[in-house]
Amino acid sequence: MLAAPRLAEEATGIGALGIDPWSLLAYLVTFGLLVALLYTLAYKRILGVLDARSGRIRDSLEEADRVRREAQEQQEAMQRTLLEGREEGQRVLAEAREAAERYREQQATQARAEATQLIERAREEIRQERDAALEQVRSEFASLAVTAAERIIHRSLDPDAHRDLIDEVLAEGDARAGRN
Amino acid sequence: MKSRLILLPVLGLAVLGLALGPIGAKLLGFERLIDAPAVHLAPQKIFTIGGFTVTNTLLSAWLTCIVILLLFGLGSRRMAMVPGRLQGFLEVLVEALYGFIRGMAGERYARRFFPLLATIFVFVAFNAWMALLPIYPTVGFKAEGADHVTTHLLRSAGTDINMPLALALIAFVFIEVWGFRVHRFGYLREFFRFGNPVQTFIGLLELISHFIRIISFTFRLFGNMLAGEIVLFMMTFLTFFVTPIIFYGLEILVGGVQALVFMGLTLVFTVLAVAPHEGHQEGHAEAGQQH
Repeated sequence: MLAAPRLAEEATGIGALGIDPWSLLAYLVTFGLLVALLYTLAYKRILGVLDARSGRIRDSLEEADRVRREAQEQQEAMQRTLLEGREEGQRVLAEAREAAERYREQQATQARAEATQLIERAREEIRQERDAALEQVRSEFASLAVTAAERIIHRSLDPDAHRDLIDEVLAEGDARAGRN
Repeated sequence: MKSRLILLPVLGLAVLGLALGPIGAKLLGFERLIDAPAVHLAPQKIFTIGGFTVTNTLLSAWLTCIVILLLFGLGSRRMAMVPGRLQGFLEVLVEALYGFIRGMAGERYARRFFPLLATIFVFVAFNAWMALLPIYPTVGFKAEGADHVTTHLLRSAGTDINMPLALALIAFVFIEVWGFRVHRFGYLREFFRFGNPVQTFIGLLELISHFIRIISFTFRLFGNMLAGEIVLFMMTFLTFFVTPIIFYGLEILVGGVQALVFMGLTLVFTVLAVAPHEGHQEGHAEAGQQH
């Protein structure tokens, strides 16, 4: 046999195990004190912190969920507003186009009316000018005719002189007309 | 290349340890360098206070308690939302144990069971792990004329049967108190069934099994801790270097496993004790029908 562990005690049976009521009691008290001290000093605090941390994590997750939900709602609201804005813009644009079209047509009609009016006025003025000119020519001719008649009456009725006189009057009339 | 450089001296040390040990002495024919280790079943007396004997295992248990209290006290002194290293370690340990207990007992009982069950784990595990420190097998007193330590100052409390027995008694009382607390005197129906002889016998067996738990709890822990100590002594004696390290690693595992087993079994039996029993279920069913 190489080496065998040897029993140090000579006691046999259950006595060799060393069961001792006082040692047993000492262990019971020691363990009881350890439980009480660990519970008071450590377990309560550690579990408290673990609870607080898990509560905080739960709160944070709920807060994150809430913020995410709010952000989603805000995004949806923003998209709705954007859509409404776009629709409103399109409506305003359509209205503006319609108003512009109406205005353009109105302006064109007005311009046409003004142009017609102007043309009419111009025609009227031309007509008046022409009438005035004719009237003036007529009065000039009348005056010339009177003058010619006067001269004819004062002179002998020589055909050649008469013709010369008429030519003179006409030439004078032409000269007057040219001056005017 | 680097690993080979480390492996070679390690292997050399292992062979040297084996050669210098009793196997080498026998094979090479020289006198053994050290004596075979002495195995003490009972703890050794260190000193006496007013007639009360303080043993090396009890002293070790007190030292372990101080270390546990210092560790937990310092770690939980200033609890912060962002934990430091020690607080983080304690939180991981407490959360793991609490999760284990809550997984079996449910939220309703977890917080109530936790202090005692967690302390069982911590006490058993730390006692086992602290005994792996080199001061445990080396520091002590020499008997007159002896050339080596004959009385160790410190020794794993798990190797003293009084410690596992104390824990077993606490676990037993804890289980039964919770059984009575939840079911009141209805809890006794589990043991005293007078319907027919078979039921009576089963009830009696149940009663005996509850008391036998004290023995099974005690000797499971005591046996494993003592066996671990003997294995370490023997492996160190036989091979000196390197090989004992493997067994030290194994004992770290054994310490944790035994602590978990003790706590787990106490938890399972307590959960069984507080769970609704057959008689109670019938009673609840009758009450439900009446309503």
